[in-house]
Amino acid sequence: MFTKLLDALFDTPNKAKVMGVLSSLFKLFFVVFVVIILYLPIFVIALQSFNDSRTVFNFGGLTLKWYEALFFAQSAHHNTEVVITIQNTLRVTFISTILSTILGTFVAIGAHVLDKKRRQQLILLNNVPILNAEIVTGMSLMLIFSLMLPVIPMFFGFWTMLIAHVFFSIPYVVLSVLPKLKEIDVNLYDAAVDLGCTPFKAILKVIIPSIQAGIFAGMLLAFTMSIDDFVISYFTTGNGFENISTWMYGVIGKRSLSPVVYAYNTLLTIITLSVLLLINLKGSKRQKPEWLKSKSYR
Amino acid sequence: MRKFKSLARPYFVWMLTLVALPLVVMVVLSFMKTNGVKFEGAYVTLENFTRLASPSVLVGFYNSMKFALIATVLSFLIGYPIAYIISKSNIRNKFLVLAAIILPMWSNKLLRVVAIGYALSEYNVLRSFMNTIGIDFMINLKGTDLAIVIGLVSSYLPFMILPIYTVLEKIDPLLLEASKDLGANGFWTFWKVVFPISLKGVATGVIMVFLPSATGFAVPYVLGNGNYVLIGTVIEDSFKIGMDYNFGSLLSLILIVVIFGALFLVSKVDKEGETLL
Repeated sequence: MFTKLLDALFDTPNKAKVMGVLSSLFKLFFVVFVVIILYLPIFVIALQSFNDSRTVFNFGGLTLKWYEALFFAQSAHHNTEVVITIQNTLRVTFISTILSTILGTFVAIGAHVLDKKRRQQLILLNNVPILNAEIVTGMSLMLIFSLMLPVIPMFFGFWTMLIAHVFFSIPYVVLSVLPKLKEIDVNLYDAAVDLGCTPFKAILKVIIPSIQAGIFAGMLLAFTMSIDDFVISYFTTGNGFENISTWMYGVIGKRSLSPVVYAYNTLLTIITLSVLLLINLKGSKRQKPEWLKSKSYR
Repeated sequence: MRKFKSLARPYFVWMLTLVALPLVVMVVLSFMKTNGVKFEGAYVTLENFTRLASPSVLVGFYNSMKFALIATVLSFLIGYPIAYIISKSNIRNKFLVLAAIILPMWSNKLLRVVAIGYALSEYNVLRSFMNTIGIDFMINLKGTDLAIVIGLVSSYLPFMILPIYTVLEKIDPLLLEASKDLGANGFWTFWKVVFPISLKGVATGVIMVFLPSATGFAVPYVLGNGNYVLIGTVIEDSFKIGMDYNFGSLLSLILIVVIFGALFLVSKVDKEGETLL
């Protein structure tokens, strides 16, 4: 059997075939390996969210009680502290995602029409929060907010965290919208204005629809970055205002996390995934043929 | 459309306030001894600089560099082939494959690290669950170097895969054909054509993995059972526990110099930041 395999390997006509099989086997193992690396924590989180036992050390059968505790205050496992931090997290994330999507889109439009040198300066500045260490961004914002304390006492908390999240989310929106702006035909805007649109209306009616894929991608990134931010939130919060990450950091090592947190996290992952799948399904149905895309006939 | 230039102007002001102003504050603070940001009784001193040579800082820098380098090299060795396989595969819906790579990032970062910590502990829900279906394994790595490396790679691998994939996907297939026509085999086409083009994705990926690995403090704190000193831990302690804004500012400035060096290098390779996303 083994000699046959070796023969087959060195037999030239078969060599390509065997190498092909071997390489696809290798590819398969490699992909499985990567999936394990990436999904190991996800398995554990999902499993624990359905675990009947409260501790993460053993599996005690399946249950949905932690999900129930997430939604119903009368549930025996309801944990007010966790629910409040989850509400805080969602509040900051939703407001900052909406704000940064709108602001980022307008900044990108502004940046697009800047002359090249200015635009490159803006992009460089814009890249700073993306590439900078989170700890440096966090403490930079904390320093500025601390300097404002004499003017606005008890500033730290919801507002500082919100400003911080908007600050690090806008760059992602700008970066996803800019390439889409490059693709659109400059004459579109002029045509709209010629046909009687005010400049602002032309932006809303012509430019925004043609860059909506970029806006959406930016919004998704802003949401992704904001919903699980830890380091920057940790530095910019205060006065007892906690999001889920900062709260967890305080709990780790002191007591075990309530499985309600795992349930929240699993649910969030599922919701985000299904929203994306839905959009993908919708998007692929109305996708235009390649030759219709503006790029090819410009 | 040129009149919309003014839309970008407030952004310059906003970014300069929140990016450049803190820099100035940090420079001032690092040459002084103050009480937080209160300047009453503050004096100018160089003692923060002398403290740079203290063992905890040196060990912190060494550990940060060590873990970040290992994590980056491993992420590259794993991430490049995966990006290549995805870009070469004839799966029609690549969006789904990419979504599968990003999906773990929608779980809370910190909770993911905590979960890896459990998965690498002797007793955990995964092992217990596997026992019920008759499989047993024992991993006891929590608190070791390897656990931290696994945690870093697992957390930051998508940041390596995505930019490389973006660049590979954009490569004109005609280039590959031309290379083939000129007599290059698969390997030489890859080495002389594909790899050089993909380098700007690699540069972005390396930075996106190296910087958070080198400066984070949550992964080593959780997976190292709090026994490892990293530069992030030193900064965190000086701001959050010691209220020592001066030394913390100095350390952050050093980090900023390193990061801006890296940013400068990337901007040389990738002028408009195309591969960042």
